[in-house]
Order: sequence, then structure tokens, then C-alpha cells
Amino acid sequence: MSCYVKNIIADDDVISDIKALIPEAAVRRRMSRILKMAVTTAVECCGNIDNIKEIDSIVTATGYGCLADSERFLRNVIENNEELLNPTPFIQSTFNTVGGQIALLSKNHCENITYVNRSHSFEDALLDAYLQIGIEGKERILLGTFDEITESSNNILERLGAFHKGQKNGEGAIFMELTSNYTEACKIKIEHIEFSSNVLSQDECINRYAKSKEEKIVYNNFTEYGIYPTVSARIFYEFTKDLERDEEMIFCNNYLGMSSSIIIVKGV
Amino acid sequence: MEQLVKELKQHLIEELNLEEITVEDIDTDAPLFGDGLGLDSIDALEVILILEKYYGVKLSNSAEAKPIFYSVRTLAEYIEKNKK
Repeated sequence: MSCYVKNIIADDDVISDIKALIPEAAVRRRMSRILKMAVTTAVECCGNIDNIKEIDSIVTATGYGCLADSERFLRNVIENNEELLNPTPFIQSTFNTVGGQIALLSKNHCENITYVNRSHSFEDALLDAYLQIGIEGKERILLGTFDEITESSNNILERLGAFHKGQKNGEGAIFMELTSNYTEACKIKIEHIEFSSNVLSQDECINRYAKSKEEKIVYNNFTEYGIYPTVSARIFYEFTKDLERDEEMIFCNNYLGMSSSIIIVKGV
Repeated sequence: MEQLVKELKQHLIEELNLEEITVEDIDTDAPLFGDGLGLDSIDALEVILILEKYYGVKLSNSAEAKPIFYSVRTLAEYIEKNKK
């Protein structure tokens, strides 16, 4: 089974004007910050909205979802005594708003699923996409992750002591196109995805998955990129940037020390 | 009435996030939905909330909504008539 990453970008790679990426002003004006961040990354990843029409499946992953809209909706409920609730934050507070917006904009009504599985949402989404290519024979899949910081979530995490070892809060969107067909644009091949209910140490990861001592292992490198549920997608993006041909890399994510997820990639 | 029209336009811009539109850009007599300002059904719900939240005006009969929601002027006239 072959599953290649054709293009992978982060929200800070988006250079096109939002009006060019999302031409409909009526759609744009309702979008919250995270929606704009994620949807523009998705569109830029594919080049333009028309290219998304060719995608066979859309898979998104998030830990918090559209948090600002959820907070706005709940604040309205409290402040307005459960009356006079604005529809927009309610509609857009669901986890699958990003996937839905991509479908609405591109008018691509293909399979569209969102994984909200805490810190392994990205890995679960990647496994699904990998299996859709390998088992269902799909050729092109758009996969993306997104999470945002809000003032209140930051306060809560701070109070819970989440940033105790010099870590910082984080947010962002990563989108990639996965394909079964190798082209010169493909630089990464997904070799293996695995989950373990036990937390694996770095040594255990090396012993279990590394084919040689030279193999690179990316083990829980959270500090630099901040703490948020889909940070593992950011780490995947950062560390695969300079992946050389035939070089293998093992990613081990045991965020919050509850379980481990493993992704093994190879440069092509 | 003119003050109410201006205020209403301001609320529409803020509550509906009408990016790049100013009070001066909104034609008082142009249709709000479809042509004109191009609002849609979700905006209609937001407009109902504006009437209730800022002016205490409730739409008693939804069948009457179409002529009332036609333009900023028809909305302002309805508010004037029913304001508490």
C-alpha cells in the first residue's frame, strides 16, 4: 500500500489574500478566526477552491474545535438568560465546521469526517486517510488539523499548571494532500501508523521501530511549538521539511503521558 | 426617524459582520434580502434578534415578516410603531 504526502502547509505559509481564497463575501464575513485560518490553509494547500472538487475525501482533526464560537454561544446563553441566541456562533461551534465549510465552498460532497480524539486526533485522522487510500482505493485525500487559543482556554490551562515546564500555549492549522499516486511533488511516504495504550519511552520506541541506530526519532518535541491537542501535526510538518530521500523518521506522540501514537515516514 | 435609520444600519453592520460596508453604503430603501444588501435566512434570524435586543420589538406574526424586513426603512417604521 502506498500513501504519499503530496503537499503539506501550515497556516503561516498562506500568502494569498483571503478574498482570493474565499471569494464569497457572505461566507467570509461569518467566519471566525479559526475558520479563516483553517479554511484558507486548506484552499492554499490545494491551490484553489476548484482543485478541492477533485478530492475524494476530506478528513479533519481537532482537539478543541471552533472554541471561540463555542465560548461566544455559551456566553450568549448565560448573558441572555437562554433567550435571544445568535444563530451564527451556534452553527459554527461544532467540531466539523471546518470540514463543512470546505465542502460548501468547493461543492465537493465527498466523504467528510472530523476526528476529535484529544491529542491523537491527527494520528487517528491520518490512519483513516491511510486506510481509505489502502483499502477503499481512494486517490486523493485532503487532511487537516486545527486548534485555536482563546483567552479563557489560556487562563484555564494556566490555572491547571499546563505550562509548568516552560511550555507555552499553541495553536495553528496544518493541511496536507495525501495521494496513492507518486509524483515528483511527493516528498514523504507514510510507512506505518500504530497506537499503543502504554506510554512508550524513547528507548522502547527505538528498540521497537528503528531499523538502525541512525534512524531519526522525533519524541514528544512539544515545547517549541506550544501545547495544544493537534501539535503533533505541526511537529510532523516541521520535521518532515528536510526529510531526505530514503531517510526514515519515527514520530512518537505521548502527549499528556496517557498513550502513545507512532507514525513512521520515509523520504521519497 | 433618520437617527433610528442610522442606528439600525450600524447594528446591522456590527451584528452581521458586514465587512467593508459602511453606514453610507447601505441604501435605506434597497431590499435587505436577495438583491440589495444580499442577506440570507441566517441573517433574518440575526435581524429578529436586533429588533428584540435593542428595541424590545418582537415579531408577533411571522407571516408579516416579508414587508417589514424589506428594507432598512420598513424595519425602522416597524420599530417606531412598536417600540416599548
